[in-house]
Amino acid sequence: MTLKPDASGPVVDRAFIEAYFNAFAARDTEVFAQYLHDDVRWTISGPIDVIPYCGVHHGKAAVIDVMARRARNVLGITHIAREQFLVQGNQGAALTRLTAQLRADGRTISYRIANFFRFLDGKLIENVSLMDSFDAAEQVLGHVIDVDDAPPLANGNIALL
Amino acid sequence: MPDTVTKEVVDAFYDAFVKPDGEKLAALVHDDVRWTTRGPIDVLRFCGTHHGKAQVLELATKTLPTVFTDIKLVRESLVIDGDRAAALNFQTAQRRADGRVITYRFAHFFRFMDGKVIETTTIIDTFNAAEQVLGHALPRDGALTPPGATPPALDDLVFL
Repeated sequence: MTLKPDASGPVVDRAFIEAYFNAFAARDTEVFAQYLHDDVRWTISGPIDVIPYCGVHHGKAAVIDVMARRARNVLGITHIAREQFLVQGNQGAALTRLTAQLRADGRTISYRIANFFRFLDGKLIENVSLMDSFDAAEQVLGHVIDVDDAPPLANGNIALL
Repeated sequence: MPDTVTKEVVDAFYDAFVKPDGEKLAALVHDDVRWTTRGPIDVLRFCGTHHGKAQVLELATKTLPTVFTDIKLVRESLVIDGDRAAALNFQTAQRRADGRVITYRFAHFFRFMDGKVIETTTIIDTFNAAEQVLGHALPRDGALTPPGATPPALDDLVFL
């Protein structure tokens, strides 16, 4: 999967992209749906056995289903705080903090999400959502994930960036 | 009016950071840089906030080479807007300790000042990264099943 840079693509008006993202952030399914390309590809990185709506969703109907049903079965969003929002050409990127209540037990969870998205012919054709998925998974599970059997950290058990 | 960062500056930053080339990187990082990486610090020790050029240079030129070899980044998206840039990257690297290949996706949100990185927030698919670094699956005890829902059907399990 790649959000291919498309320098030759038409520039999308910033206000249009703002309006799209506002509809997405508000989880306004009806308005949000109007922005989607029929062939939209929507990727949410994360463990699907812990956070069931993660994965790749292809096509307008599947994306709407994620927003309108599958995600709402898991959590009810109470607030989206926009921390960064960038627009260039037909692409955008946003860093937000999501706060929500879990449907299962009413607990409040909160974590950051990065969204990268691209438009084609005035419609959203691709989105990648990336979250601090370890943090999100611990909050959804309701307990610390046991990593006691991790190998020693001193000599190389470190990833980067 | 803030400066406008260019793609060339972002490219130069990544080139210096991944190699790593400390001299070039030093010229692209602000003295007062704040570098924040979200994630479980007990598994991914590079997570947390690094403040100041020296700490960021240490991360890139000392920590990184002792951890990974053959690092490759595929840039999936780059969005530049004024003095800010956001990049979505897919990293592939070999873990130096045992040669295992580790891949994960991460996002950088940069702010530049005077042509240098002054602020970075990094978002990683940390669950995935932690499992790969640990070399085993993390426990899922208590994995969520929404009220009234059955466990995901096979056609719900769409893998990345």
